[in-house]
Amino acid sequence: MKPVKFSTFFFTLLVGLVFQLYPWSNSGVIIRPDFLLVIALYWLLQAPYHCNIGWVWFAGLLVDLATGSLLGQHALTFSITAFLGLIYQRRLVLFNRWQLHLYLIFLFGMQRILIMLLKLFAGSEMPDWTYGLPIISDLILWQIMIVWFGELSRPKKL
Amino acid sequence: MLKGIHQQLDPHESPAFFIQGPRPFSRLMFFCALSLVMMAIDARFDYLSQVRQWFSAALHPLEIVASAPNEWGRNINTYFTSHNQLIQENFKLKQQGLIDNAALQRLATVDAENVHLRTLLSGDAPIIPKATLGEVMHMGRDPFSNIITLNRGSRHDITPGQAVVDEQGVVGQITRVYPFTSEVTLITDKKLSIPIQIERNQLRAIAFGEGKRNTLDIPYLPTSVDIKVGDKLVTSGIDGVYPAGLAVAVVTQIKQSQDSPFAKIVSRPIAGVNNHKHVLILKIPESPAINPVTDNKPVLPRNNAQHLDQSVVDVLQKNNAAVDPHPVTELPSLDSTDTDPAAVNAITPPASTQTNNGSTNTATPNSTSPPNSQAPTAPERP
Repeated sequence: MKPVKFSTFFFTLLVGLVFQLYPWSNSGVIIRPDFLLVIALYWLLQAPYHCNIGWVWFAGLLVDLATGSLLGQHALTFSITAFLGLIYQRRLVLFNRWQLHLYLIFLFGMQRILIMLLKLFAGSEMPDWTYGLPIISDLILWQIMIVWFGELSRPKKL
Repeated sequence: MLKGIHQQLDPHESPAFFIQGPRPFSRLMFFCALSLVMMAIDARFDYLSQVRQWFSAALHPLEIVASAPNEWGRNINTYFTSHNQLIQENFKLKQQGLIDNAALQRLATVDAENVHLRTLLSGDAPIIPKATLGEVMHMGRDPFSNIITLNRGSRHDITPGQAVVDEQGVVGQITRVYPFTSEVTLITDKKLSIPIQIERNQLRAIAFGEGKRNTLDIPYLPTSVDIKVGDKLVTSGIDGVYPAGLAVAVVTQIKQSQDSPFAKIVSRPIAGVNNHKHVLILKIPESPAINPVTDNKPVLPRNNAQHLDQSVVDVLQKNNAAVDPHPVTELPSLDSTDTDPAAVNAITPPASTQTNNGSTNTATPNSTSPPNSQAPTAPERP
Protein backbone atom coordinates (compact mmCIF):
# COMPACT_ATOMS: atom_id res chain seq x y z
CA MET A 1 0.00 0.00 0.00
CA LYS A 2 1.54 3.24 -1.11
CA PRO A 3 1.30 6.15 1.29
CA VAL A 4 -1.31 8.73 0.46
CA LYS A 5 0.00 12.10 -0.62
CA PHE A 6 -1.07 15.12 1.34
CA SER A 7 -2.20 16.77 -1.90
CA THR A 8 -4.60 13.88 -2.58
CA PHE A 9 -6.12 14.30 0.85
CA PHE A 10 -6.44 18.04 0.46
CA PHE A 11 -7.85 17.85 -3.06
CA THR A 12 -10.57 15.36 -2.11
CA LEU A 13 -11.62 17.61 0.75
CA LEU A 14 -11.84 20.51 -1.69
CA VAL A 15 -13.96 18.45 -4.09
CA GLY A 16 -16.18 17.47 -1.18
CA LEU A 17 -16.62 21.13 -0.31
CA VAL A 18 -17.62 21.94 -3.89
CA PHE A 19 -20.23 19.18 -3.78
CA GLN A 20 -21.44 20.53 -0.46
CA LEU A 21 -21.80 23.98 -2.03
CA TYR A 22 -23.72 22.65 -5.03
CA PRO A 23 -27.17 24.30 -5.09
CA TRP A 24 -29.19 21.28 -3.99
CA SER A 25 -32.89 21.54 -4.57
CA ASN A 26 -35.42 20.67 -1.89
CA SER A 27 -35.59 16.98 -2.69
CA GLY A 28 -31.83 16.90 -3.14
CA VAL A 29 -31.24 18.08 0.40
CA ILE A 30 -33.21 15.08 1.69
CA ILE A 31 -30.81 12.53 0.18
CA ARG A 32 -27.63 14.63 0.10
CA PRO A 33 -24.80 12.85 1.90
CA ASP A 34 -22.50 14.73 4.25
CA PHE A 35 -19.67 14.89 1.71
CA LEU A 36 -17.12 16.48 3.96
CA LEU A 37 -17.87 14.16 6.90
CA VAL A 38 -17.50 10.98 4.83
CA ILE A 39 -14.35 12.15 3.08
CA ALA A 40 -12.69 13.43 6.23
CA LEU A 41 -13.64 10.29 8.15
CA TYR A 42 -12.25 8.08 5.38
CA TRP A 43 -8.92 9.84 5.50
CA LEU A 44 -8.95 9.80 9.28
CA LEU A 45 -9.09 6.02 9.23
CA GLN A 46 -7.00 5.50 6.08
CA ALA A 47 -4.27 8.06 6.60
CA PRO A 48 -4.16 9.17 10.23
CA TYR A 49 -0.76 10.73 9.58
CA HIS A 50 -2.44 13.42 7.42
CA CYS A 51 -5.90 13.77 8.82
CA ASN A 52 -6.50 14.26 12.52
CA ILE A 53 -9.42 15.46 14.58
CA GLY A 54 -8.41 19.03 13.87
CA TRP A 55 -8.94 18.57 10.14
CA VAL A 56 -12.34 16.95 10.66
CA TRP A 57 -13.25 19.81 12.96
CA PHE A 58 -12.22 22.27 10.26
CA ALA A 59 -14.35 20.39 7.71
CA GLY A 60 -17.28 20.78 10.10
CA LEU A 61 -16.58 24.48 10.35
CA LEU A 62 -16.72 24.74 6.56
CA VAL A 63 -20.10 22.99 6.61
CA ASP A 64 -21.27 25.50 9.21
CA LEU A 65 -20.24 28.37 6.98
CA ALA A 66 -21.83 26.78 3.93
CA THR A 67 -25.16 26.14 5.62
CA GLY A 68 -25.18 29.42 7.51
CA SER A 69 -25.96 27.65 10.78
CA LEU A 70 -24.57 28.56 14.18
CA LEU A 71 -20.77 28.62 13.87
CA GLY A 72 -19.38 25.52 15.57
CA GLN A 73 -22.41 23.21 15.49
CA HIS A 74 -21.23 20.90 12.74
CA ALA A 75 -17.63 21.33 13.87
CA LEU A 76 -18.54 19.99 17.31
CA THR A 77 -20.46 16.99 16.01
CA PHE A 78 -17.81 16.21 13.39
CA SER A 79 -15.03 16.19 15.96
CA ILE A 80 -17.00 13.93 18.32
CA THR A 81 -17.72 11.55 15.44
CA ALA A 82 -14.06 11.64 14.46
CA PHE A 83 -13.05 10.79 18.02
CA LEU A 84 -15.42 7.83 18.11
CA GLY A 85 -13.90 6.63 14.85
CA LEU A 86 -10.34 7.25 15.86
CA ILE A 87 -10.37 5.38 19.16
CA TYR A 88 -11.30 2.21 17.23
CA GLN A 89 -9.05 2.97 14.26
CA ARG A 90 -6.71 -0.02 14.85
CA ARG A 91 -9.67 -2.39 15.10
CA LEU A 92 -11.68 -0.82 12.28
CA VAL A 93 -9.00 -1.47 9.68
CA LEU A 94 -9.06 -5.15 10.71
CA PHE A 95 -12.86 -5.46 10.59
CA ASN A 96 -14.52 -7.20 7.69
CA ARG A 97 -16.87 -5.26 5.49
CA TRP A 98 -20.09 -5.85 7.42
CA GLN A 99 -18.61 -5.05 10.79
CA LEU A 100 -17.12 -1.89 9.36
CA HIS A 101 -20.41 -0.81 7.79
CA LEU A 102 -22.31 -1.37 11.00
CA TYR A 103 -19.87 0.83 12.81
CA LEU A 104 -20.07 3.47 10.05
CA ILE A 105 -23.87 3.52 10.30
CA PHE A 106 -23.42 4.11 14.01
CA LEU A 107 -20.98 6.95 13.37
CA PHE A 108 -23.07 8.71 10.71
CA GLY A 109 -26.24 8.23 12.74
CA MET A 110 -24.49 9.59 15.79
CA GLN A 111 -23.50 12.74 13.93
CA ARG A 112 -27.04 13.32 12.68
CA ILE A 113 -28.53 12.78 16.13
CA LEU A 114 -26.06 15.19 17.69
CA ILE A 115 -26.85 17.87 15.12
CA MET A 116 -30.53 17.29 15.66
CA LEU A 117 -30.13 17.70 19.42
CA LEU A 118 -28.20 20.94 18.97
CA LYS A 119 -30.85 22.26 16.59
CA LEU A 120 -33.65 21.22 18.93
CA PHE A 121 -31.96 23.12 21.75
CA ALA A 122 -31.95 26.16 19.49
CA GLY A 123 -35.70 25.81 19.01
CA SER A 124 -36.02 24.02 15.68
CA GLU A 125 -38.73 21.49 15.01
CA MET A 126 -38.39 17.75 15.07
CA PRO A 127 -37.54 16.56 11.54
CA ASP A 128 -39.48 13.67 10.01
CA TRP A 129 -38.15 10.21 9.14
CA THR A 130 -36.48 11.33 5.91
CA TYR A 131 -33.88 12.93 8.13
CA GLY A 132 -32.20 9.52 8.41
CA LEU A 133 -31.98 8.90 4.65
CA PRO A 134 -28.60 10.61 4.13
CA ILE A 135 -26.99 7.82 6.18
CA ILE A 136 -27.63 5.50 3.22
CA SER A 137 -26.16 7.96 0.74
CA ASP A 138 -23.23 8.41 3.14
CA LEU A 139 -22.55 4.68 2.87
CA ILE A 140 -22.78 4.85 -0.94
CA LEU A 141 -20.28 7.69 -0.92
CA TRP A 142 -18.05 5.59 1.32
CA GLN A 143 -18.15 2.84 -1.32
CA ILE A 144 -17.10 5.37 -3.97
CA MET A 145 -14.20 6.44 -1.78
CA ILE A 146 -13.16 2.79 -1.39
CA VAL A 147 -13.30 2.21 -5.14
CA TRP A 148 -11.10 5.23 -5.78
CA PHE A 149 -8.66 5.14 -2.92
CA GLY A 150 -8.74 1.50 -1.81
CA GLU A 151 -9.94 -0.41 1.18
CA LEU A 152 -8.74 0.71 4.59
CA SER A 153 -5.11 -0.34 4.71
CA ARG A 154 -4.11 -2.82 7.36
CA PRO A 155 -0.94 -2.06 9.25
CA LYS A 156 2.19 -3.65 7.82
CA LYS A 157 3.56 -6.60 9.63
CA LEU A 158 6.85 -5.48 11.06
CA MET B 1 12.53 -4.73 6.84
CA LEU B 2 12.95 -3.41 10.30
CA LYS B 3 14.21 0.11 10.81
CA GLY B 4 15.99 1.30 13.88
CA ILE B 5 14.85 4.20 15.99
CA HIS B 6 17.83 6.30 14.91
CA GLN B 7 16.68 6.18 11.30
CA GLN B 8 14.26 8.68 9.83
CA LEU B 9 10.84 7.04 9.56
CA ASP B 10 8.20 8.05 7.06
CA PRO B 11 4.97 8.86 8.85
CA HIS B 12 3.08 5.92 7.37
CA GLU B 13 5.86 3.52 8.25
CA SER B 14 6.23 4.46 11.86
CA PRO B 15 4.69 2.07 14.40
CA ALA B 16 1.03 2.74 15.04
CA PHE B 17 1.49 4.04 18.56
CA PHE B 18 3.57 7.03 17.43
CA ILE B 19 1.48 8.51 14.71
CA GLN B 20 -1.10 10.47 16.52
CA GLY B 21 0.71 13.34 18.18
CA PRO B 22 -1.40 14.49 21.12
CA ARG B 23 -3.81 11.89 22.48
CA PRO B 24 -7.12 11.86 20.57
CA PHE B 25 -9.06 12.54 23.74
CA SER B 26 -7.16 15.73 24.57
CA ARG B 27 -7.55 16.85 20.97
CA LEU B 28 -11.27 16.15 21.18
CA MET B 29 -11.57 18.11 24.41
CA PHE B 30 -9.73 21.04 22.88
CA PHE B 31 -11.85 21.17 19.75
CA CYS B 32 -15.10 20.57 21.64
CA ALA B 33 -14.29 23.50 23.92
CA LEU B 34 -13.36 25.61 20.92
CA SER B 35 -16.60 24.90 19.10
CA LEU B 36 -18.70 25.42 22.22
CA VAL B 37 -17.06 28.80 22.75
CA MET B 38 -17.64 29.67 19.11
CA MET B 39 -21.29 28.69 19.32
CA ALA B 40 -21.75 30.81 22.42
CA ILE B 41 -20.02 33.79 20.84
CA ASP B 42 -21.92 33.39 17.60
CA ALA B 43 -25.26 33.13 19.36
CA ARG B 44 -24.80 35.94 21.86
CA PHE B 45 -22.36 38.44 20.37
CA ASP B 46 -21.66 39.92 17.02
CA TYR B 47 -17.89 39.32 16.82
CA LEU B 48 -17.98 36.38 14.47
CA SER B 49 -20.09 37.96 11.75
CA GLN B 50 -16.99 39.55 10.26
CA VAL B 51 -15.22 36.17 10.22
CA ARG B 52 -18.25 34.71 8.51
CA GLN B 53 -18.10 37.47 5.91
CA TRP B 54 -14.45 36.80 5.10
CA PHE B 55 -14.92 33.07 4.87
CA SER B 56 -17.94 33.43 2.68
CA ALA B 57 -16.07 35.80 0.38
CA ALA B 58 -13.26 33.23 0.20
CA LEU B 59 -15.75 30.46 -0.55
CA HIS B 60 -17.43 32.47 -3.29
CA PRO B 61 -15.23 31.18 -6.17
CA LEU B 62 -15.94 27.60 -5.06
CA GLU B 63 -19.62 28.41 -4.92
CA ILE B 64 -19.50 29.66 -8.50
CA VAL B 65 -17.73 26.45 -9.56
CA ALA B 66 -20.31 24.38 -7.72
CA SER B 67 -23.29 26.08 -9.31
CA ALA B 68 -21.75 26.08 -12.81
CA PRO B 69 -23.36 22.78 -13.95
CA ASN B 70 -26.78 24.12 -13.00
CA GLU B 71 -26.10 27.35 -14.89
CA TRP B 72 -25.05 25.44 -18.01
CA GLY B 73 -28.08 23.23 -17.82
CA ARG B 74 -30.34 26.25 -17.66
CA ASN B 75 -28.52 28.01 -20.50
CA ILE B 76 -28.79 24.96 -22.75
CA ASN B 77 -32.45 24.72 -21.89
CA THR B 78 -32.97 28.37 -22.82
CA TYR B 79 -31.07 27.93 -26.06
CA PHE B 80 -33.29 25.10 -27.22
CA THR B 81 -36.58 26.79 -26.40
CA SER B 82 -38.64 26.25 -29.49
CA HIS B 83 -39.79 28.97 -31.81
CA ASN B 84 -43.39 28.02 -31.28
CA GLN B 85 -43.09 28.34 -27.55
CA LEU B 86 -41.58 31.82 -27.89
CA ILE B 87 -44.41 32.99 -30.13
CA GLN B 88 -46.97 31.67 -27.68
CA GLU B 89 -45.25 33.36 -24.78
CA ASN B 90 -44.98 36.61 -26.70
CA PHE B 91 -48.68 36.52 -27.45
CA LYS B 92 -49.50 35.84 -23.81
CA LEU B 93 -47.27 38.67 -22.63
CA LYS B 94 -48.86 41.10 -25.07
CA GLN B 95 -52.29 40.20 -23.78
CA GLN B 96 -51.15 40.59 -20.22
CA GLY B 97 -49.62 43.96 -21.11
CA LEU B 98 -52.92 45.11 -22.52
CA ILE B 99 -54.81 44.12 -19.39
CA ASP B 100 -52.18 45.70 -17.15
CA ASN B 101 -52.21 48.94 -19.12
CA ALA B 102 -55.95 49.25 -18.73
CA ALA B 103 -55.57 48.75 -14.99
CA LEU B 104 -52.73 51.27 -14.86
CA GLN B 105 -54.88 53.97 -16.40
CA ARG B 106 -57.24 53.67 -13.48
CA LEU B 107 -54.28 53.60 -11.11
CA ALA B 108 -53.09 57.02 -12.30
CA THR B 109 -56.43 58.58 -11.47
CA VAL B 110 -56.65 56.83 -8.12
CA ASP B 111 -53.07 57.83 -7.34
CA ALA B 112 -53.78 61.49 -8.03
CA GLU B 113 -56.89 61.31 -5.91
CA ASN B 114 -54.96 59.62 -3.12
CA VAL B 115 -52.27 62.30 -3.13
CA HIS B 116 -54.93 64.97 -3.07
CA LEU B 117 -56.73 63.39 -0.13
CA ARG B 118 -53.48 62.92 1.76
CA THR B 119 -52.59 66.58 1.37
CA LEU B 120 -56.08 67.47 2.60
CA LEU B 121 -55.51 65.39 5.73
CA SER B 122 -51.89 66.63 5.92
CA GLY B 123 -50.53 63.11 5.80
CA ASP B 124 -47.22 62.11 4.27
CA ALA B 125 -46.87 61.30 0.62
CA PRO B 126 -47.05 57.57 -0.01
CA ILE B 127 -43.70 55.89 -0.08
CA ILE B 128 -42.93 54.02 -3.26
CA PRO B 129 -40.00 51.76 -2.41
CA LYS B 130 -37.08 51.17 -4.72
CA ALA B 131 -36.23 47.60 -5.48
CA THR B 132 -33.34 45.45 -6.62
CA LEU B 133 -33.84 42.36 -8.72
CA GLY B 134 -32.37 39.25 -7.16
CA GLU B 135 -32.00 35.71 -8.38
CA VAL B 136 -32.62 32.68 -6.17
CA MET B 137 -29.38 30.70 -6.02
CA HIS B 138 -30.50 27.78 -3.90
CA MET B 139 -33.10 26.79 -1.38
CA GLY B 140 -30.78 26.54 1.59
CA ARG B 141 -28.43 23.71 2.48
CA ASP B 142 -29.74 23.22 5.98
CA PRO B 143 -32.81 20.99 6.24
CA PHE B 144 -33.70 22.69 9.52
CA SER B 145 -34.25 26.24 8.34
CA ASN B 146 -36.55 27.92 5.83
CA ILE B 147 -33.96 29.98 4.05
CA ILE B 148 -33.30 30.82 0.43
CA THR B 149 -30.09 32.39 -0.84
CA LEU B 150 -30.07 35.24 -3.33
CA ASN B 151 -27.24 36.36 -5.57
CA ARG B 152 -27.22 39.92 -4.23
CA GLY B 153 -25.14 40.95 -1.22
CA SER B 154 -23.57 43.87 0.56
CA ARG B 155 -21.72 44.75 -2.66
CA HIS B 156 -25.11 45.54 -4.13
CA ASP B 157 -26.18 47.65 -1.11
CA ILE B 158 -28.37 44.98 0.43
CA THR B 159 -28.85 45.34 4.17
CA PRO B 160 -30.43 42.98 6.69
CA GLY B 161 -34.11 43.65 7.26
CA GLN B 162 -35.11 44.39 3.68
CA ALA B 163 -38.33 42.84 2.47
CA VAL B 164 -38.28 40.37 -0.41
CA VAL B 165 -41.30 40.00 -2.70
CA ASP B 166 -42.16 38.22 -5.91
CA GLU B 167 -44.86 39.21 -8.36
CA GLN B 168 -47.55 37.57 -6.25
CA GLY B 169 -46.68 38.61 -2.73
CA VAL B 170 -44.25 38.73 0.15
CA VAL B 171 -41.58 36.02 0.21
CA GLY B 172 -39.64 36.97 3.33
CA GLN B 173 -37.03 39.20 4.81
CA ILE B 174 -33.26 39.44 4.39
CA THR B 175 -31.66 38.21 7.59
CA ARG B 176 -27.99 37.80 6.79
CA VAL B 177 -25.88 39.54 4.19
CA TYR B 178 -22.62 38.30 2.71
CA PRO B 179 -20.47 40.24 0.25
CA PHE B 180 -21.97 38.55 -2.82
CA THR B 181 -24.99 36.71 -1.51
CA SER B 182 -27.70 37.17 1.07
CA GLU B 183 -30.00 34.89 3.03
CA VAL B 184 -33.75 35.37 3.03
CA THR B 185 -35.80 33.94 5.87
CA LEU B 186 -39.18 32.94 4.49
CA ILE B 187 -42.37 34.23 6.08
CA THR B 188 -43.21 30.62 6.98
CA ASP B 189 -40.17 30.43 9.27
CA LYS B 190 -40.94 30.17 12.95
CA LYS B 191 -38.73 33.14 13.81
CA LEU B 192 -40.43 35.57 11.47
CA SER B 193 -43.63 37.49 12.06
CA ILE B 194 -45.24 39.97 9.74
CA PRO B 195 -47.81 42.70 10.44
CA ILE B 196 -50.86 42.10 8.30
CA GLN B 197 -54.29 43.45 7.58
CA ILE B 198 -57.33 41.65 6.29
CA GLU B 199 -57.96 43.22 2.93
CA ARG B 200 -61.74 43.01 3.23
CA ASN B 201 -62.24 44.86 6.53
CA GLN B 202 -58.78 46.30 7.33
CA LEU B 203 -58.56 44.36 10.58
CA ARG B 204 -54.97 44.43 11.77
CA ALA B 205 -53.06 41.49 13.20
CA ILE B 206 -49.67 39.85 13.19
CA ALA B 207 -49.00 36.60 11.37
CA PHE B 208 -46.38 34.15 12.57
CA GLY B 209 -44.67 31.47 10.52
CA GLU B 210 -45.33 27.86 11.41
CA GLY B 211 -42.15 26.28 10.10
CA LYS B 212 -42.24 23.01 8.21
CA ARG B 213 -45.96 23.07 7.52
CA ASN B 214 -45.55 26.06 5.17
CA THR B 215 -48.44 27.95 6.70
CA LEU B 216 -48.93 31.13 8.71
CA ASP B 217 -50.68 31.35 12.04
CA ILE B 218 -52.60 34.38 13.29
CA PRO B 219 -52.84 33.99 17.06
CA TYR B 220 -54.53 36.25 19.61
CA LEU B 221 -57.64 36.98 17.59
CA PRO B 222 -60.87 36.33 19.52
CA THR B 223 -63.30 33.68 18.31
CA SER B 224 -65.85 36.35 17.43
CA VAL B 225 -63.50 38.09 15.02
CA ASP B 226 -64.79 38.95 11.57
CA ILE B 227 -62.65 36.70 9.41
CA LYS B 228 -63.63 34.11 6.79
CA VAL B 229 -61.96 31.34 4.89
CA GLY B 230 -60.68 32.88 1.67
CA ASP B 231 -59.91 36.28 3.15
CA LYS B 232 -56.79 37.82 1.68
CA LEU B 233 -54.17 39.09 4.08
CA VAL B 234 -52.03 42.04 3.00
CA THR B 235 -49.19 43.83 4.74
CA SER B 236 -50.39 46.67 6.94
CA GLY B 237 -47.16 48.64 6.68
CA ILE B 238 -46.98 49.64 10.32
CA ASP B 239 -43.52 48.19 10.81
CA GLY B 240 -41.85 50.36 8.19
CA VAL B 241 -40.21 47.32 6.60
CA TYR B 242 -42.92 45.97 4.35
CA PRO B 243 -44.74 48.60 2.29
CA ALA B 244 -48.49 48.53 2.89
CA GLY B 245 -50.74 46.49 0.64
CA LEU B 246 -48.54 43.58 -0.45
CA ALA B 247 -50.32 40.26 -0.58
CA VAL B 248 -49.17 37.83 2.10
CA ALA B 249 -51.52 34.91 2.50
CA VAL B 250 -55.01 33.52 2.09
CA VAL B 251 -56.95 32.20 5.07
CA THR B 252 -57.52 28.48 4.59
CA GLN B 253 -58.83 27.26 7.90
CA ILE B 254 -60.48 28.69 11.01
CA LYS B 255 -60.84 26.49 14.08
CA GLN B 256 -62.84 27.67 17.06
CA SER B 257 -62.56 25.60 20.18
CA GLN B 258 -64.64 25.87 23.34
CA ASP B 259 -61.76 25.96 25.76
CA SER B 260 -59.78 28.73 24.07
CA PRO B 261 -60.78 32.39 23.87
CA PHE B 262 -58.77 32.70 20.67
CA ALA B 263 -59.51 31.35 17.23
CA LYS B 264 -56.93 29.20 15.49
CA ILE B 265 -56.52 30.77 12.07
CA VAL B 266 -54.34 29.05 9.49
CA SER B 267 -53.41 30.70 6.22
CA ARG B 268 -51.37 29.73 3.22
CA PRO B 269 -48.77 32.10 1.76
CA ILE B 270 -49.57 33.48 -1.68
CA ALA B 271 -46.06 33.99 -3.01
CA GLY B 272 -44.73 30.85 -4.66
CA VAL B 273 -41.22 30.66 -3.32
CA ASN B 274 -40.42 27.32 -4.84
CA ASN B 275 -41.53 28.25 -8.32
CA HIS B 276 -39.71 31.46 -9.03
CA LYS B 277 -36.25 32.26 -10.12
CA HIS B 278 -36.37 36.03 -9.64
CA VAL B 279 -37.50 38.09 -6.68
CA LEU B 280 -37.51 41.78 -5.81
CA ILE B 281 -35.57 43.10 -2.82
CA LEU B 282 -37.28 46.25 -1.58
CA LYS B 283 -35.32 49.11 -0.07
CA ILE B 284 -36.26 50.03 3.48
CA PRO B 285 -38.05 53.38 3.15
CA GLU B 286 -36.05 56.32 4.46
CA SER B 287 -37.56 57.59 7.66
CA PRO B 288 -39.06 61.00 7.06
CA ALA B 289 -37.66 63.77 9.24
CA ILE B 290 -40.09 63.78 12.13
CA ASN B 291 -40.45 67.00 14.08
CA PRO B 292 -37.09 68.24 15.30
CA VAL B 293 -38.76 69.46 18.49
CA THR B 294 -39.54 65.97 19.73
CA ASP B 295 -36.00 64.81 20.25
CA ASN B 296 -36.58 62.95 23.47
CA LYS B 297 -39.61 61.12 22.17
CA PRO B 298 -39.21 57.55 20.99
CA VAL B 299 -39.28 57.41 17.22
CA LEU B 300 -42.49 55.81 16.05
CA PRO B 301 -42.53 53.24 13.25
CA ARG B 302 -41.98 54.97 9.97
CA ASN B 303 -44.90 54.70 7.71
CA ASN B 304 -47.01 56.82 5.49
CA ALA B 305 -50.23 55.60 7.04
CA GLN B 306 -48.94 56.01 10.55
CA HIS B 307 -49.62 59.73 11.04
CA LEU B 308 -53.14 59.41 9.89
CA ASP B 309 -53.84 56.36 11.99
CA GLN B 310 -52.24 57.89 15.02
CA SER B 311 -54.42 60.94 15.08
CA VAL B 312 -57.45 58.76 14.53
CA VAL B 313 -56.47 56.37 17.28
CA ASP B 314 -55.80 59.33 19.53
CA VAL B 315 -59.29 60.66 19.12
CA LEU B 316 -60.69 57.18 19.46
CA GLN B 317 -58.87 56.65 22.68
CA LYS B 318 -60.30 59.81 24.14
CA ASN B 319 -63.81 58.85 23.11
CA ASN B 320 -63.61 55.26 24.18
CA ALA B 321 -61.86 55.81 27.48
CA ALA B 322 -65.18 55.60 29.34
CA VAL B 323 -66.74 52.83 27.23
CA ASP B 324 -63.86 50.55 26.43
CA PRO B 325 -62.69 48.19 29.16
CA HIS B 326 -59.56 47.34 27.18
CA PRO B 327 -57.89 50.57 26.08
CA VAL B 328 -55.52 50.43 23.16
CA THR B 329 -52.24 49.28 24.60
CA GLU B 330 -50.23 48.60 21.49
CA LEU B 331 -49.20 52.24 21.06
CA PRO B 332 -47.85 53.27 24.44
CA SER B 333 -46.42 56.61 23.36
CA LEU B 334 -49.71 57.96 22.17
CA ASP B 335 -50.62 59.79 25.36
CA SER B 336 -47.79 62.23 24.95
CA THR B 337 -48.85 63.24 21.45
CA ASP B 338 -51.43 65.58 22.95
CA THR B 339 -48.74 68.08 23.70
CA ASP B 340 -47.18 67.71 20.29
CA PRO B 341 -48.33 70.62 18.10
CA ALA B 342 -47.80 68.69 14.86
CA ALA B 343 -49.96 65.82 15.98
CA VAL B 344 -52.72 68.19 17.01
CA ASN B 345 -52.50 69.92 13.65
CA ALA B 346 -52.84 66.57 11.97
CA ILE B 347 -56.30 66.15 13.43
CA THR B 348 -58.19 68.37 11.10
CA PRO B 349 -61.75 69.13 12.17
CA PRO B 350 -63.46 67.11 9.40
CA ALA B 351 -61.30 64.10 10.15
CA SER B 352 -62.08 64.16 13.84
CA THR B 353 -65.80 64.45 13.33
CA GLN B 354 -65.67 61.58 10.91
CA THR B 355 -63.85 59.40 13.33
CA ASN B 356 -66.26 60.37 16.06
CA ASN B 357 -69.10 59.02 14.01
CA GLY B 358 -67.15 56.01 12.98
CA SER B 359 -66.10 55.07 16.45
CA THR B 360 -69.54 55.37 17.96
CA ASN B 361 -70.94 53.33 15.11
CA THR B 362 -68.52 50.52 15.56
CA ALA B 363 -68.05 50.55 19.29
CA THR B 364 -71.57 50.59 20.63
CA PRO B 365 -73.42 47.84 18.77
CA ASN B 366 -70.54 45.40 18.67
CA SER B 367 -68.67 45.57 21.93
CA THR B 368 -66.95 42.22 21.45
CA SER B 369 -64.77 43.35 18.56
CA PRO B 370 -61.22 44.06 19.70
CA PRO B 371 -60.26 47.69 20.24
CA ASN B 372 -57.50 47.67 17.67
CA SER B 373 -59.88 46.64 14.92
CA GLN B 374 -61.69 49.93 15.22
CA ALA B 375 -58.72 52.06 14.42
CA PRO B 376 -58.26 51.21 10.78
CA THR B 377 -61.94 50.91 10.00
CA ALA B 378 -62.87 54.28 11.43
CA PRO B 379 -61.66 56.65 8.71
CA GLU B 380 -63.26 54.50 6.01
CA ARG B 381 -66.80 55.17 7.20
CA PRO B 382 -68.08 58.67 6.51
